[in-house]
Order: sequence, then C-alpha cells, then structure tokens
Amino acid sequence: MDPPILRAKGLTKRFGGLLAVDAVDLDVAPGQVHGVIGPNGAGKTTLFNLVSGFVSPDQGSLLFGDRDITRLRTYERTALGIVRTFQNIRLFRGLTVFENILVGQHTRARPGAFSIWPVASPRERELRQQAEELLELFRLVDDRDRLASELPYGAQKRLEMARALAASPSVLLLDEPTAGMNEQESEEIATEILAIRGRGVTVVLVEHDMNVVMRTSDVVTVLNFGVKIAEGSPETIQADPEVRLAYLGEDEAE
Amino acid sequence: MSLYTEGVLILVGINVLLALGYWITVNTGQFAFGNAGFMAIGAYLSAVLTLKLGWPLIPAMLLAGLAAGLIGAAVGLPALRLSMLYLAMATLGFAELVQIVFVNWAYVGGAAGLSGMRGTSLPLVAVVVALVMVYLWLVSRSRVGLAYAAVREDEAAARAAGLNVTWIKVMAFGQGALVTGMAGALYGHHLLFIAPANFGVHQSLSIVLYVVLGGLQTFWGPVVGATVLTLAPEVFDFLKDWYLLVYGLLFVVLMIVRPQGLIGRSRRRWVQRRPAAQTHVAREAAVGPPDPAG
Repeated sequence: MDPPILRAKGLTKRFGGLLAVDAVDLDVAPGQVHGVIGPNGAGKTTLFNLVSGFVSPDQGSLLFGDRDITRLRTYERTALGIVRTFQNIRLFRGLTVFENILVGQHTRARPGAFSIWPVASPRERELRQQAEELLELFRLVDDRDRLASELPYGAQKRLEMARALAASPSVLLLDEPTAGMNEQESEEIATEILAIRGRGVTVVLVEHDMNVVMRTSDVVTVLNFGVKIAEGSPETIQADPEVRLAYLGEDEAE
Repeated sequence: MSLYTEGVLILVGINVLLALGYWITVNTGQFAFGNAGFMAIGAYLSAVLTLKLGWPLIPAMLLAGLAAGLIGAAVGLPALRLSMLYLAMATLGFAELVQIVFVNWAYVGGAAGLSGMRGTSLPLVAVVVALVMVYLWLVSRSRVGLAYAAVREDEAAARAAGLNVTWIKVMAFGQGALVTGMAGALYGHHLLFIAPANFGVHQSLSIVLYVVLGGLQTFWGPVVGATVLTLAPEVFDFLKDWYLLVYGLLFVVLMIVRPQGLIGRSRRRWVQRRPAAQTHVAREAAVGPPDPAG
C-alpha cells in the first residue's frame, strides 16, 4: 500500500470533561474514499475540525505526507491541499454562485496588492476558465449569476462541493454531504463523490447515510464516544459485531 | 464659485472620505464605532507637522493618514476577536481615550486645541476623494474585494476556502483608519481650528449615519449618504428649530421603507445571514435535530 497521504496519530480533543476525540489513529491512503461513521456524538465532526484546523488538538499529531501540520492554521492547510465542507452548508450567501467558486480558488490565485489591476493575467483567465468548468461539472451553469442564497438546498450542497474543489485539493473532507437529501439526491452525491475520486482526489467522508458510505468508501473507520472501534472494508464493517452493537443497541445485535 | 459654496463642497468631500473610511472596515463585517479617534489622530498629527514643523499640507496629510492607519491596524488586531457589540464598545472606548490624551496634552493646546492650520482647497479634497474612489472601485472588481466580501459573508467558510481572515480584517481596519486619518487632516486644515471636542461620540455617530443612510452594499452608498447628510442642514435651513425633528423623522421613515439604505438592491440583504427557515426545517425533518458534538 502507498504511504498514507494523511495520518493522525493519537489525536485527542477534550471539551471540558468530555473526551470528544480520544487517541484516534487514522491512516488515509491516497486516491481512496475513506468513510468515517459513528452514532451521533461519536466525535466525527470534532475529528473533521481537528484535521481542517478549526480546533487544535490537546494531544497527538497530524501528518500530511511527511509534513507535520498539527500547528498549521486552516488557511495554510487549504493552501497545502486539505479542504473541507460543512455539515450545515456554509456559502457566501450574498455572493453569486460564480463568485463563490472564485473565492474557493483563493489559495491558487494568491491575490496581492497588484491584483487589483483590472486587466486579467493569463493565469487569472485560466483560473476563471476552470471555475466555469466546475459550474458545468456540478450542474450549476444556469445558476451562475444567481446569489448563493437563492439556490435550492441540493444545489447549495453541490455549490459547496464545487467551491471546495476549486482549491484543487489533494484531500477533500466532506462533512455529511447528503444530510437533508432525499434518496435520489443522495444517489447523485454518491456518484459525484466517485467522480471526484476518479480525478485522483482523496476523499474523507463523514456520512450518516449508510448506502452512500457503503457504495463509495474503500475503507471505513467507525467511531463511538470518541474512540475508534473498528476499521476495514465496508463489508467487514457491516459484519462487525461491535459496530452493530454501537449502532443498534444490545438487543437487536443479538 | 462663492466662498460659501466652496466651503460646503469641501465639507461634502471630507465627509465622503470619512464615510468611505468607515465603509472599508464595515465591508468586512466589522462594526466599529470610534472612527472619530482616527480622525483626531490625523487632524492633530498633520496640524503639528504643518504648524510646528512647517511641512506643506500634502505630505503632512499623507503621513498623518499612514500613522492613523498603523494605529488602526494595531487597534484592529486585538479587537478582531470581539463580536459585533463588543467591537463597537472597544472602538468607542478607543476614541474616548484619544480625546482624553489630547485634552491633557499641553503641546497640542489641551482642551483649547490648535489653531491657524490652513491649506485645504476644493481641488485637493476632490483629488483625494477621486483617488480613494478609484482605489475602492478597482478593489471591488478584483479578487481582493471578493476576499473582503467573503469574510463579511461567512467567516468559517472563508477560513475553509483558504483566506487568512485575521490578515484581511487587520488590513481593512488599517485602510479604513488611513482614509479616516487623511480626512481628519483635511478637516483640521479647513476649519482652521481643532479641539478635542470636535472628535467626540457625535462625530463617530455622524460617520456611522452617513454609511447607514447611503447603504452598505457598495461604496456608492457611503458617498451618497455623506453627500445627502452634509447638504441636508443647508437645504432644510428654513425649518429653523424644527430641523432636527424633521431630520430624525426622515431617518425613521427611510429605515422602514429602505432598510438597505438609499443605494443598493433590496435582494442583497446581506445583514440576514442565516439560511432560510425553510431549508432548516427540511434538514431537521430528514436527519433529526442538529447534533453539535457528532
């Protein structure tokens, strides 16, 4: 197996007396979809916040390739290629769909004092072209100049994924991309996740919808009360008695 | 042009600069309330340079603006961590502090102030206003302007998109203070006389009102707001003692009819940031209530 692109070692985060994430080790192999599941309160979102730099760990470290990124700020991680989405959609609501994607390219465009000059550089034209292609990929062409706040729910979710991809990440962290979607929409998102994987992007996926996780993931990690209780292929995870216990409770598991 | 008209136009220009300086900061979602403090720093420093050191006005104004900008960035840095109301309080406190320093500083005349500064002319004011507006126009069309807007719209999303939110906010604070400081320098050299009392809460409030009246969405709002509010006393002169009452009523009516200000599209209601209620309901129906720890 290739060396992991993202590696967490003993990652720990406490909130007061609550151990939200307890000494979690995670190896994410490049080019794979790595699912993270667990019941409510299992620490999935905290794990995401740790990896994306929104909170800093009390203990443990985080490696991106060979590089220790434990102390890097969020924008530095984005520039390196680790980009996240949010469970409850966070768009720039007063900006247009296209502008949202342009902001997503920020770390690649690196605007400075001179970029206010109104003539677009070749690099800028290239980036805008790529932004248009993302619109197409995520079926947002017709909504290009609408405000993000005016989009229906499903399209907002797609826009958030498009904005994250605009940074051309090597690791994409998707936090419940199908939350609040019906079966058909979830199915579309699953297809899109596989398409993203097809572009060579490693995906870490936190998801409640088991169908989506099982369809897309190469490896699944199961968290419960902040602790990793199982890891393996979707098939092994589905058969794992401890996982069934955590999800279904004692009676049904027997 | 009569001396009177020229005086009014100069004042319009200075107030437009004050409004723009405030707007630059507000445009990144930071509601400061002490811009009279930066204005005072610009006015006093430039006055010391021209009166006591014999500098010409233009370099004095530029240096005073720069100093106000640096102080603004320094104030902005700790103030960044404060949420809306506390940021307003902190900057208000800063402006009061500046006033107290000048009252107790004999070198700059204490409470009596400084007098004898001259040199602010209509062409000079017009050029400064034009330069600032061209700068803001270029910024608003660029990725830099987009980054400012992104920080205003959603800070967490801006961080995730790779924006250095702290840097952007400090830059906005510094640039806003710089423009405000230059406006202060022009103000002092127009009035011929400055005292700490010129830079009190009422001055900070006036600046806020220019921007609120004009609208926050683009920099044209503050330009129009400052112009209208500077000319209003001249136009409503015939109302005499009733002036403030009519003025207040107009404000109330306007805020009901056009809450987004004189300039700006109503659909860009960026003050209303939360997702529409409908999507929330849809989400909760599908996946249950939000789960903060999970």
